[in-house]
Amino acid sequence: MTQNADHVLDHFELFRGPEYQQMLANKKKMFENPRDPAEVERIREWAKTPEYREKNFAREALTVNPAKACQPLGAVFAAVGFEGTIPFVHGSQGCVAYYRSHLSRHFKEPSSCVSSSMTEDAAVFGGLNNMIDGLANTYSMYKPKMIAVSTTCMAEVIGDDLNAFIKTAKEKGSVPNEYDVPFAHTPAFVGSHVTGYDNALKGIIEHFWDGKAGTAPKLERQPNEKINFIGGFDGYTVGNTREVKRIFETMGIEYTILADNSDVFDTPTDGEFRMYDGGTTLEDAANAIHAKATISMQHYSTEKTLPLIAAHGQEVVSFNHPIGVTATDEFIMALSRISGKEIPEELARERGRLVDAMADSSAHIHGKKFAIYGDPDLCIGLAAFLLELGAEPTHVLATNGTKQWAEKVQAVFDSSPFGQNCHVYPGKDLWHMRSLLFTEPVDFVIGNTYGKYLERDTGTPLIRIGFPIFDRHHHHRYPVWGYQGGMNVLVWILDKIFDEIDRNTNVPAKTDYSFDIIR
Amino acid sequence: MSSLSATIQDVFNEPGCGKNANKSEAERKKGCTKQLQPGGAAGGCAFDGAKIALQPLTDVAHLVHGPIACEGNSWDNRGARSSGSNIWRTGFTTDINETDVVFGGEKRLYKAVKEIIEKYNPPAVFVYQTCVPAMIGDDINAVCKAASQKFGKPVIPVNSPGFVGPKNLGNKLAGEALLEHVIGTEEPDFTTPYDLNIIGEYNLSGELWQVKPLLDELGIRILSCISGDGKYREVAYSHRARAAMMVCSKAMINVARKMEERYGIPFFEGSFYGIEDSSDSLREIARLLIERDAPDELMTRTEAVIAREEAKAWAAIEPYKPRFKGKKVLLITGGVKSWSVVAALQEAGLELVGTSVKKSTREDKERIKELMGQDAHMIDDMTPREMYKMMKDAKADIMLSGGKSQFVALKAGMPWLDINQERSHAYMGYVGMVKLVEEIDKALFNPMWEQLRRPAPWEDSAKNWQARAIAQMDAEAAALAADPVAAEQARRAKKICNCKTVDLGTIEDAIQTHGLTTTEEVKQHTNASGGCGFCSVRIDDILAARQASAAPVMQAAE
Repeated sequence: MTQNADHVLDHFELFRGPEYQQMLANKKKMFENPRDPAEVERIREWAKTPEYREKNFAREALTVNPAKACQPLGAVFAAVGFEGTIPFVHGSQGCVAYYRSHLSRHFKEPSSCVSSSMTEDAAVFGGLNNMIDGLANTYSMYKPKMIAVSTTCMAEVIGDDLNAFIKTAKEKGSVPNEYDVPFAHTPAFVGSHVTGYDNALKGIIEHFWDGKAGTAPKLERQPNEKINFIGGFDGYTVGNTREVKRIFETMGIEYTILADNSDVFDTPTDGEFRMYDGGTTLEDAANAIHAKATISMQHYSTEKTLPLIAAHGQEVVSFNHPIGVTATDEFIMALSRISGKEIPEELARERGRLVDAMADSSAHIHGKKFAIYGDPDLCIGLAAFLLELGAEPTHVLATNGTKQWAEKVQAVFDSSPFGQNCHVYPGKDLWHMRSLLFTEPVDFVIGNTYGKYLERDTGTPLIRIGFPIFDRHHHHRYPVWGYQGGMNVLVWILDKIFDEIDRNTNVPAKTDYSFDIIR
Repeated sequence: MSSLSATIQDVFNEPGCGKNANKSEAERKKGCTKQLQPGGAAGGCAFDGAKIALQPLTDVAHLVHGPIACEGNSWDNRGARSSGSNIWRTGFTTDINETDVVFGGEKRLYKAVKEIIEKYNPPAVFVYQTCVPAMIGDDINAVCKAASQKFGKPVIPVNSPGFVGPKNLGNKLAGEALLEHVIGTEEPDFTTPYDLNIIGEYNLSGELWQVKPLLDELGIRILSCISGDGKYREVAYSHRARAAMMVCSKAMINVARKMEERYGIPFFEGSFYGIEDSSDSLREIARLLIERDAPDELMTRTEAVIAREEAKAWAAIEPYKPRFKGKKVLLITGGVKSWSVVAALQEAGLELVGTSVKKSTREDKERIKELMGQDAHMIDDMTPREMYKMMKDAKADIMLSGGKSQFVALKAGMPWLDINQERSHAYMGYVGMVKLVEEIDKALFNPMWEQLRRPAPWEDSAKNWQARAIAQMDAEAAALAADPVAAEQARRAKKICNCKTVDLGTIEDAIQTHGLTTTEEVKQHTNASGGCGFCSVRIDDILAARQASAAPVMQAAE
């Protein structure tokens, strides 16, 4: 036996030992009815052809390797951005475990979230009792300042009425009557995690501004000079939010970050477990109604929230995950225009540095082809940045992208000669992307961790930008917004380009005549 | 074995150098290299020059005798390419310390050579002298000789410590080391009437390999390339070549000329940059070989290859011509001969608005004038604001330059393409020209330049630094025009001859007062160019400008 207690091999090594290899080979031969390897190879090659692509794109019902997640994930993400808030997902607890693990694996942080743990009888008779008990237990066990309720499909299918349920639970004494329990219906069979973010945030804002579900008077807006900021569903929230705060402070603008989860996803290790950390205070959330304007960095994360805010008399401005010089210019200038504050020299210098860095390295990116997939706004931000660098975002794909989104991406393509041969794929999945990469190869693919299978199968090097990133650590601590954020994205792209050059030139006595130290 | 100072004198006496030939005995003694100006931002030293000239020899160990500074900063810093051994990329140094400085580093050097031979067994070890061991009196010639005898292996001293002069001198001293210790020490297995040496070609980015297939096709054998992708043995038997092509004239002219003198190998100075230059060089190679008894039919075959390759290259360049129409190029280059690239760019339909002449000789300048016409802007050096002004006045769309000017261009917001040593693309030969055109196209149409030129959108364009700098330049010019005293001061402040401290005003006055027409006359009256002689080219320009009574030649302070 290769395994022994003195020197325990992990799975990398163990299953490569002769015993296991022999066992696996026997199993395959005797029990798996193996196909002719030549036939397997033929099919594998066939799956790379235009013919296969056509069949692949003719798929109507089946989604293979989706590049999106479900609404309640987004709802949980938004909810933890408020002070002392625990997300409460009404529905089956299995779903909630997914959100927690998804977020934990990306941020490498604990992710606190509870569920009403609906079971079969609840599915038949309705989940009211689960809501009543759930709220009571959550309130007494975790002492949150607020419980933000969202739903899983299970509760939505049977049509549980959150408003009524919460009211009843309060009547039954689960939580005090004046206690904040905002809610949002977030069925996974509608939209994606960005929709869930939108719904949850809208629910919370509505709760505070519009009379707390009839338990308090509606707030009267008294305009002040503050600006509200919404990041949207953003895997870089830790780095981005801090960078945006710095920009606001540099410009001398008073601001409120709505759903600020930058601290709870980045708690220090100092001996104390923080179930809650940082976040938008409930007072600030309520007072945000008085702000001059609200800025959203991600249009598709705030499609419902922004109209609600606008209806209260504020100016609302939305961006598509701005990355790079032009997009950041627009963001900074919007801040300046709304606040009436001048853009300080410090930001002008950061801009100049980004332009300088782009110029220093442009030759390496210019003319390269990229495939991008991810959330709709991120795709637009990245595509625009690539065009700015003279690269071609040849394939842009979002499983949660709509037709209207596709038109917007097309408009981005049309704005540059480098967009001429680029195509947008709304509602497609990563198996579609696989066919695209085989039939119309590109130099690099930009996407989340799941892209590593595309990288392996198609040989297209993966640049990890997006959510979730499970297999690389701590990138979420770096901003991708602001000029300094643009610098990070530039460096990540360049690092991969140079890694590839090195990888292609590192065979001793064969290709290493170009294995240079200066690139 | 001649002493270092004698070798340097010998190099200064190089009769193959056109510039040298025009000098008096006294001038020649002063040396041909420009005296470095204390306080100026100077280029590399003689050690660096020797190292870069020999480093492309791929199968020898390059051992730098000195403190860590010399090898630490230069280890593997050139994009030369090897088709075989990679030992040239390994950084070998004696890394001497304080004790060595006190007690001498010869023993350490000897041991280092021994260890290299024991552990790597290369065909030869090249030992580079540097400032510190040279100053404390380490005799590397003696150590190399002893080691060579002891280990039965060539150990070649390259005596070019940094303090003896600039990089260019180092190139030549490297050549001297080859001439003295390597060339002619071995014999080739066989010879052919088609054996060619290529001298001063470094195979940067593998450029040589873009030309080699054509030579192979013609049956011409590169017996030895000094030093790109070179092997020790090839250099050692290079004296059996029938003809030689000298590629980078300034660097290794002494090698080409002395090989002609000693071994009767005729050489010509040529270039593979640009289509016509490539064709001319191929013809010249064929001609020299035929002169030395290669069959006449070689020329017929050469012409056929030229016709085919030219047609292919033109066809590949053709589609770019409409895109390049009206695009103006500013060329700032060091190592690559300006005039050879000028021709190449004009072939692609680009308009050249200026070129640098910093490292060019008088002959180079004449060639540039021939190619670009009399009003060619010849630029010694350029500041960002001058560059920006050129760009803003639509005088230039792109700058082609070496890595050093890159940053200046970028800060000035000028599109830029690297054509010097650190470039990552190979531009030699017919395919190289197509590649260059491709790269220029990419650089010209890179959307990033838009960002570079545009100030931040919130900036008042009347107040940004570019506007301020131009306003300042205009104001300075206006002030000079309005104020004769200031203009006089400016004229007096602009030094032309650094050796004899002669300013522009003095020279202009002398020309005016005495009606001078030649550099020699100016020298007699003002003593300008009486030192190193480098500024005689600039005095030519002043004279030419006077005679044309046009605006003075564009020339920034040295």
